[in-house]
Amino acid sequence: MKKYFKGPLVILCRLVLGGVFIYASLDKIANPAEFAKAIGNYHVLPFGLENLLALFLPWLELLTGILLIAGIMVDGATILIISMNIVFIFAISQALARGISIECGCFSVSTEGGSNIGFQTILRDFVYLIMAFIIFYRQDKQLEFYPKSV
Amino acid sequence: MDINKPLHQVLIFIVLSSLIGLGSNFVRSDSIPWFALELAVAESIDTDTDEPVLIAISLDQAKSFHDKGVLFLDARDEGYFESGHIKGAMKNAFLMELVFNIEQKQSKLEPLVVYCGDPGCGDSEDLAYDLQDSGFTQLYVFKGGWVEWSAASYPSETGL
Repeated sequence: MKKYFKGPLVILCRLVLGGVFIYASLDKIANPAEFAKAIGNYHVLPFGLENLLALFLPWLELLTGILLIAGIMVDGATILIISMNIVFIFAISQALARGISIECGCFSVSTEGGSNIGFQTILRDFVYLIMAFIIFYRQDKQLEFYPKSV
Repeated sequence: MDINKPLHQVLIFIVLSSLIGLGSNFVRSDSIPWFALELAVAESIDTDTDEPVLIAISLDQAKSFHDKGVLFLDARDEGYFESGHIKGAMKNAFLMELVFNIEQKQSKLEPLVVYCGDPGCGDSEDLAYDLQDSGFTQLYVFKGGWVEWSAASYPSETGL
């Protein structure tokens, strides 16, 4: 299976995932207070810590997205994207299991623009997870610039 | 630091994101505190306001609400509720069922007091935020909860 993870497929996955994570970060960076509320609604963090995560996570998404597309530290970016998606899937699943109907806070944190979480949200994150694994197990390193010898 | 090692790259990402995120928060006009603040206890209460309310209340304020017949909601598990709760309080349930149960008694625009075990339990605050997301607009969190209420020997009852 891994032998197919090369060339245009990997580059396409990098472009799509990078674009998704850059797009997902922008509204959160612009509205940290709203994003902190969205995190708090999931009730997975001890009260108080959602602000720290709201300040840190969007920039992590933006950096990983930009550098994934730019071909810089692709392995590190991919590991982080895999980790983030696993955490997102866990957070959404536990909220659904508890019957909490909340805004996703995935791409837009405003109450007008956001969409509620659902099984489709989990499915979408699984697709991103598969794309990230394709990048992680890639067989070539086309359009990767730094570090060159990984 | 070996940039060729993926886990070292991960560390670089985390450090950079932390520095940029926390640093930019210092200079932006709409900065937020690093740690969220707990709900402040209300100094005065205006139940006639049309503005959405989610605020903590003291024991005296809770008693005043109880005397006026405001609905109380117990955020604790059923076992705790059964062994003792504020007189007339509604027991917790799966959120959808809970919203349905409340709406059988009153609209989402009427005052609702949420409480749990003691000031440190946090379930009342969590449930209040869930109810706010479900459209309830007049939410009061009695943080002293069952411990303060029962210590004051205010009206209570047992059973489901």
